[in-house]
Amino acid sequence: MIALERVNARAGGFRLTDVTFAVPQGGYGVVIGPAGSGKTTLLETIAGTIRATSGRVMLGGDDLTHAPPERRRLGIVYQHAYLFPHLDVRKNIEYGAVSTAAAAEVAERFGVHVLGDRRVESLSGGERQLVAIARTLARQPEVLLLDEPFSALDPRTRNTARRLLRTIYFERRFTVLQVTHDFSEAGLLGDIAIMLDRGRVVQQGDPEQVFRKPASPYIADFLGAENVFAGVAQPIRAEAPDWIDAAESEFTQNAVAFTTGALTFYALGDVVPGPTHAVIRAEEISLSAEPAMSSVQNQFRGTIVEIVPGGALTRVTVDAGGTPIVAAVTSRSMRELGLSVGVSVVAGFKATAVHLC
Amino acid sequence: MLRLIADTLVIYIAASLNKPIQPVLDTFAARTGTVIQRESGASLEHVRKITELNKTPDLLLLADADVFPRFLVPKYASWYAEFARNRMVVAFTAKSKHAKEINADNWTTILQSKDVEVGRTDPNLAPVGYRTLLMLQLAERFYKKSGLSASLLGRAPERNMRGNAAELAALLAAGELDYIYDYQSVAESNGFQFIALPPAIDLGDPTRAAEYSKASVSVRGSTPGSKAEFKGQPILYGMTVLRAAPHSAAAKRFLDYLTSPATVAQLRAAHIDMLDHPIVDGSGAPAELHGTARP
Amino acid sequence: MALPDPSRLEPSTARQSSNPIPRAIATIAVAILTSLFLLFILAPVVGLVSAGGAHGLSSLASDAELRASLLLTVGTATMATFLGVLGATPLAYLLARRAFRGRAIVSALLDLPLVIPHPVAGIALLLVLGRNTPLGVALLAVGLRVANSPTGIVCAMLFVSAPLYVSAAREAFARVDPRYETVARTLGDDAWRAFRRVTLPLSARGLTAAAVVMWARSVSEFGAIVILTYNPKVASVLAYDRFTSYGLSETLPVAAVLVLLALIPLAALRALRGGEPLPR
Repeated sequence: MIALERVNARAGGFRLTDVTFAVPQGGYGVVIGPAGSGKTTLLETIAGTIRATSGRVMLGGDDLTHAPPERRRLGIVYQHAYLFPHLDVRKNIEYGAVSTAAAAEVAERFGVHVLGDRRVESLSGGERQLVAIARTLARQPEVLLLDEPFSALDPRTRNTARRLLRTIYFERRFTVLQVTHDFSEAGLLGDIAIMLDRGRVVQQGDPEQVFRKPASPYIADFLGAENVFAGVAQPIRAEAPDWIDAAESEFTQNAVAFTTGALTFYALGDVVPGPTHAVIRAEEISLSAEPAMSSVQNQFRGTIVEIVPGGALTRVTVDAGGTPIVAAVTSRSMRELGLSVGVSVVAGFKATAVHLC
Repeated sequence: MLRLIADTLVIYIAASLNKPIQPVLDTFAARTGTVIQRESGASLEHVRKITELNKTPDLLLLADADVFPRFLVPKYASWYAEFARNRMVVAFTAKSKHAKEINADNWTTILQSKDVEVGRTDPNLAPVGYRTLLMLQLAERFYKKSGLSASLLGRAPERNMRGNAAELAALLAAGELDYIYDYQSVAESNGFQFIALPPAIDLGDPTRAAEYSKASVSVRGSTPGSKAEFKGQPILYGMTVLRAAPHSAAAKRFLDYLTSPATVAQLRAAHIDMLDHPIVDGSGAPAELHGTARP
Repeated sequence: MALPDPSRLEPSTARQSSNPIPRAIATIAVAILTSLFLLFILAPVVGLVSAGGAHGLSSLASDAELRASLLLTVGTATMATFLGVLGATPLAYLLARRAFRGRAIVSALLDLPLVIPHPVAGIALLLVLGRNTPLGVALLAVGLRVANSPTGIVCAMLFVSAPLYVSAAREAFARVDPRYETVARTLGDDAWRAFRRVTLPLSARGLTAAAVVMWARSVSEFGAIVILTYNPKVASVLAYDRFTSYGLSETLPVAAVLVLLALIPLAALRALRGGEPLPR
């Protein structure tokens, strides 16, 4: 497992401030954040290349804050393979391997055993990265740190590498911490997502939660939420008799009226009255020709101003009273409803889809 | 005095003259506005620059007057003049081993002991070098100790040699050597203590020329494999203005200044044993030299 | 289909076609400059070797003093380079990797010997290593006399040429991405092992080139050496000695032979490096 307690570190122009999080034993942690937020610094601090100025770094239950990298039983794979140019492929994979047999086995799993005697410079980028991963795994580390290991690969190699890595991960169940730009990948992979910004952990938790309930509009924006609105929130408990006598769980939250521009949404949340933001994922917004009698509380008529096709899903921007609302709609629905620019539609979304932050 | 362009004067000076003559050069430069370019080094070095590199200074002030007739007259100069004397001494400092005990009677013993480092100049390059050898030969005769010269030389091996008198003095000043064979003028201008040697051996008395000539040394000649013989002679400094001197007018003005009584007195105070008047050999010496022809 | 009317071409297109002239001028200027520079550097060397090379080589057989001097020069320069590499490589590594406080000052200080006029450097060494100084006494105790001995020659060479090695070695280390070392360490190497197995092989060529520069600089030194040790004479001192004694005809061969001898290690090492492809 990986556990950091109030870790501070500084290297070059990057710093970490009060970083605290934990990835359970055998778990898969994902680190996301904008460029310069300290993601690589974080990995290198865990690896021990960068010294933590304060706080604790725990690996597998042991306090290894002051241990040198070679005693931390971890492996690191960067975006660039960093294969030793003066050694051939086999020697690279065997470099820190537990045994020659283990090295050969991993090499075969990743399909790079055939590259055995080749010089590093003769390999393609994809081959190098596979060798790099094999090299790291040949040592059978307990913790694996990955710094966007697939982002420089072409899509096919990326998928192969991802698949092979996940297979071995499920077999050996080491703990993983992966830095990634691709948040959809994070959602699919991780047990815990850690959002880093300017050296601080700004949000952590189940990737799905971080995704759906980003802690700030900034995070929402970074994660690619299409609908982020600035406005004013006002609790309206008294005006929502439906929910006064409700049971526990989410319905004990206040009903809130959120006003942005000319629109007012009904939302749920515990907010302080005043300026705030509302986030709605495009997938949560449905389009219809006419307002529907349904449990969808928020329905606004508007005109389609932009259509962005994207494979199975199309993104449609609707101008509702001066406020743009982006909906993700299946292309089939597009055809069935006859949607195109200029068409008048009703954009609807449930109160539960509105996340206030 | 109005001058539109500053005059220049190029002088080659023997290393042992360097320190004492500096104030003289500075005063001349200040008074006349002349820019003086001086080069200091071993006498033979200077000769080579003229004969091999075709350099042409205006004035030469060298430690051995004999160099002129050998290498420079008549091709490069038509005259030369002896202008100062010097003597060989054994110089040392307070830091030197046995500094407190050494005197004119026991110097040969002390300079043979195993714990002292004795230095001398390369006889192939500088007059003071072969004069050291001549002096030691004379000493052997004088003290009537056979093998003295070789023994003393043995304690001043090649590794303790330097290319010119000034570098040797620097080594003594730095404490790397205990004793050096050098000129009295060098010893005095560096503030060293020194043992005055008997006039019969120190090459400083012009009246003893015949005695001195009994010693002779063979050093490297001017071509590889050849040898040059030097007989013991009183040490005389020589000077000349080259035929092709580019600034002969400035050179003459300097000669005038150099040989004026005030400057002579100044140089004597700086431990250069100046002759009253330069003794001239050859023809064409300028009047500003105030020299007298050799009798 | 009508052809485009040339009179209605865009001005920018017209400008495009006249650009080659300034470009050609620039290319010619660079070619001239390069040739002049090469000539400036090579002509004196070629002149020297052609003037004295034959004489020098032939006299090697008969001239024992010359042989001894060349041997001494090569020996002391090699010793100085050996000591420099041994002593300065860790420092160069430190300067390349650790941004410690005062790193800039240390770097500047290390460059100072290059600025000091050579005879002054010799004097400075004498002041610190002379037989009356604490260091000098310590050295004497182990039988090493600095002034007037080959030890002094090595000291002078080391002092004036080591800064060149430190600079170049530091560059060689800096060119090795520290992440290679990180990877090696996570693969089980301690700092020293990672240095030995990864950093050193990857920087070997750069370090060799740095050592060559240091060796060459040591061989050519004169001013600092002659203050400390006049006899025995290294080649540079011998050349000057021959000049004052015999003149040009005898000094050129010494220098020519030295240059020819030095060509062997220099050319060999450059040839080794020449096989290395440009880094990507």
